[in-house]
Amino acid sequence: MRAVGQLWLLSFRHAPLAAALLQLMWLAGATALASVPWTGIAAASIAAVLLGSGIWLWSMLLGMDLRGLCQPDSLLLPGFRRRLAWTGLLHLLQWVLLPTALGLLLGVPHALLAGALVLLLGAFGLASGSERYLNLLVWALFVLAGWKPGLATQAALVLAASPWAVPLALLLAALLLRLALRDLLRVEDRQIDSSPLENTQLGRSRSADGAPARRGAVGRRLLRLFDATAQRAMARALARYRARPSALRRMVLVRRLLLPHDNPQAIALRLLLVAALVSFYVVAVMHRQHFDAVMVGAYAILLGLARFPRLGQGMRRMRPNLADLYLTLAPATRADYQKTLTDALLVLVPITALTTVAYTALGIVLTHATAPWRMLLDALVVGAAASLVALAVHLIGPEGRLGRALVDIAVTLGAMVTYWGGYWLLGALGYALGGGALALVTLSFGIAVWLAAQREYQHRPPCFDAPLA
Amino acid sequence: MSMPAPLPPMSQPATAPVLRVRGLHKSFDRREVLRGIDWDVPAGRVIGLLGRNGAGKTTLLRCLLGLSPVDAGTVALFGEPMTEPGGERMHRIGFVPQTFDLFPWMKVRAYLDFTAAFYAGWNHALAARLLGDWQLDPKQKIGELSQGQRQKLAIVRAIAPGPDLLVLDEPVASLDPQARRAFMAELLELMQAPGKTVIFSTHITADLERADADITLLRDGAIRFTRPLGELRERMKRVVLARAEGWTQAPAVAGLLKATLKDREAQLLVEDPLTDSLRALAEREGASLRIEQPTLEDLFVELA
Repeated sequence: MRAVGQLWLLSFRHAPLAAALLQLMWLAGATALASVPWTGIAAASIAAVLLGSGIWLWSMLLGMDLRGLCQPDSLLLPGFRRRLAWTGLLHLLQWVLLPTALGLLLGVPHALLAGALVLLLGAFGLASGSERYLNLLVWALFVLAGWKPGLATQAALVLAASPWAVPLALLLAALLLRLALRDLLRVEDRQIDSSPLENTQLGRSRSADGAPARRGAVGRRLLRLFDATAQRAMARALARYRARPSALRRMVLVRRLLLPHDNPQAIALRLLLVAALVSFYVVAVMHRQHFDAVMVGAYAILLGLARFPRLGQGMRRMRPNLADLYLTLAPATRADYQKTLTDALLVLVPITALTTVAYTALGIVLTHATAPWRMLLDALVVGAAASLVALAVHLIGPEGRLGRALVDIAVTLGAMVTYWGGYWLLGALGYALGGGALALVTLSFGIAVWLAAQREYQHRPPCFDAPLA
Repeated sequence: MSMPAPLPPMSQPATAPVLRVRGLHKSFDRREVLRGIDWDVPAGRVIGLLGRNGAGKTTLLRCLLGLSPVDAGTVALFGEPMTEPGGERMHRIGFVPQTFDLFPWMKVRAYLDFTAAFYAGWNHALAARLLGDWQLDPKQKIGELSQGQRQKLAIVRAIAPGPDLLVLDEPVASLDPQARRAFMAELLELMQAPGKTVIFSTHITADLERADADITLLRDGAIRFTRPLGELRERMKRVVLARAEGWTQAPAVAGLLKATLKDREAQLLVEDPLTDSLRALAEREGASLRIEQPTLEDLFVELA
């Protein structure tokens, strides 16, 4: 049982605050349920909400921990799977079986159904936390429901009243759990990332423990496709440099090395993939319902800036490898080397700005937006300024996980708010005056932040130490 | 120059092998790394797995433990088929991977407590002693340890349960000389108990010599031979034939494994050289004859 205890404690060791809060949530839910005889049936609803959201978050946390834990080496621990199953049973007992039994004992209506749904939420949380594509299945339900909302509501009501509701929920939960756990416990060969600065996994990243994420067949094929474009781009850049060496062509080489998936072909491929996903989402899930123009642009900004957190993290992970680049470039001074890096990464600004414009254009087409030029101009200016700021803060910003997360939120929200402000300004003052004012304010701010960050980065000595945990 | 010829297999041990591999194939993206491995490892031996970089040593060790799925073939550990790691059989196995990346947020003490909880026979005293000897701070986070310190921690984790089979993938690559010696001493002490088996891949041949290991050579995705070190030393000789006009092709010698023609010399790696025949050959060719004992490192360079 010691091993089961250690496995149960894992979440408390990894994220003590979150784990403690969620346990308090369970306690509050259980207390609310136990108080039903005195406070009435309303307390049972509060308990259901607390336990439902609690188990969803708790199982997401468990999923994240399992992603780190279920590495091949852990599978060598004696009886690992069996002990993991016992730990799962403990969680089940705490979050589902005990509250359901209490509900039944107190005569709470639909206690069994609520228990089954809580279990389903837990299974969904585990699938989401372990980052399996499986959780997308839930979106499929929303898609189906969205096509015929009336019919979906009717079906849900009939299902809730049906004696099949509980077994169906249990079956679905069992299926989700089985699929999520099967992938987590499967022994497979892992592929390493092409570059710490790139992410071809469309949002899926390394596990909380830094181990490479598992890739499915589609993911591996995509990575090979991206890597092939990187190879071709590097070969072309090398051929050009050899034919006529110049500082500019040397810079292109450095960029191809640092940002292998930021060559024109890979950018086009990425745009195509995102466009396909966004189109599916808007057409199938949201049924092309009316979108506010400011929301479309803000989403585009959000998508465009999504790569910068990866850059900040990747630059730290890449440090030991950068020593090789330092020796190859043989810079006259350390500041020259730092400048080479910042100049190379600056290419992300036009790439991000143009990508944001492309996403906005896609949004305009999909939602039949009424002021397309206003949105495009706004996206271009704000996208460029925001990417300058994002690049700056990720180069010199905080190293800690919390600090980086706060910086990400501040930059992304700031950019979205600026987009909304810019949209209003363009409407109020017109393209020339409004656009000029917007460009003046945002770009001058972005450039000032970037120049300051660049100066600071160049003053810092190059660091080739591997980052600490 | 000639390519090394395959050596005949070692005679099979009377006892049941700890590990039995038959027809093991493994590919990565259509690149075949292991091509039909057949391998028996008897109990109570230290096996040094040698091979050049990229020969497939790490892949082989991972396949043996079920950590990497195989394309074809079978692996049996302690007489039972090994398809996936798991079960109580794991109590008997210790493994030190080439890189150790688990739980960077966990402190050393918490990690060892976590691991110890899984093993009935975890030797707390040994783990504590090794932590002290190797100056590993139990309060330090794993992510803050250097590569060498992580390697030490991985070794503590593997040795403390007192496994019957210890599999080590380049265990000393990141260790300082003191830690390397201490590790080898622990390894030899572990081997004092009957029935303990160690398989380790390394490029440091001196460690294999110290452990008096059986040498297994992996080349071109296949096991070329497994031989006790003493037997290798006894049977493998370097024959040097030197003459003024040099050599255009290697002289024909029984048991020739590899020939290198250099300036005036023909350097021949020969198994069980027949001294009388060699003397006759030298006389016939007007060459001087020298028979040397190659070191294990020389043998590795010649044969791998």
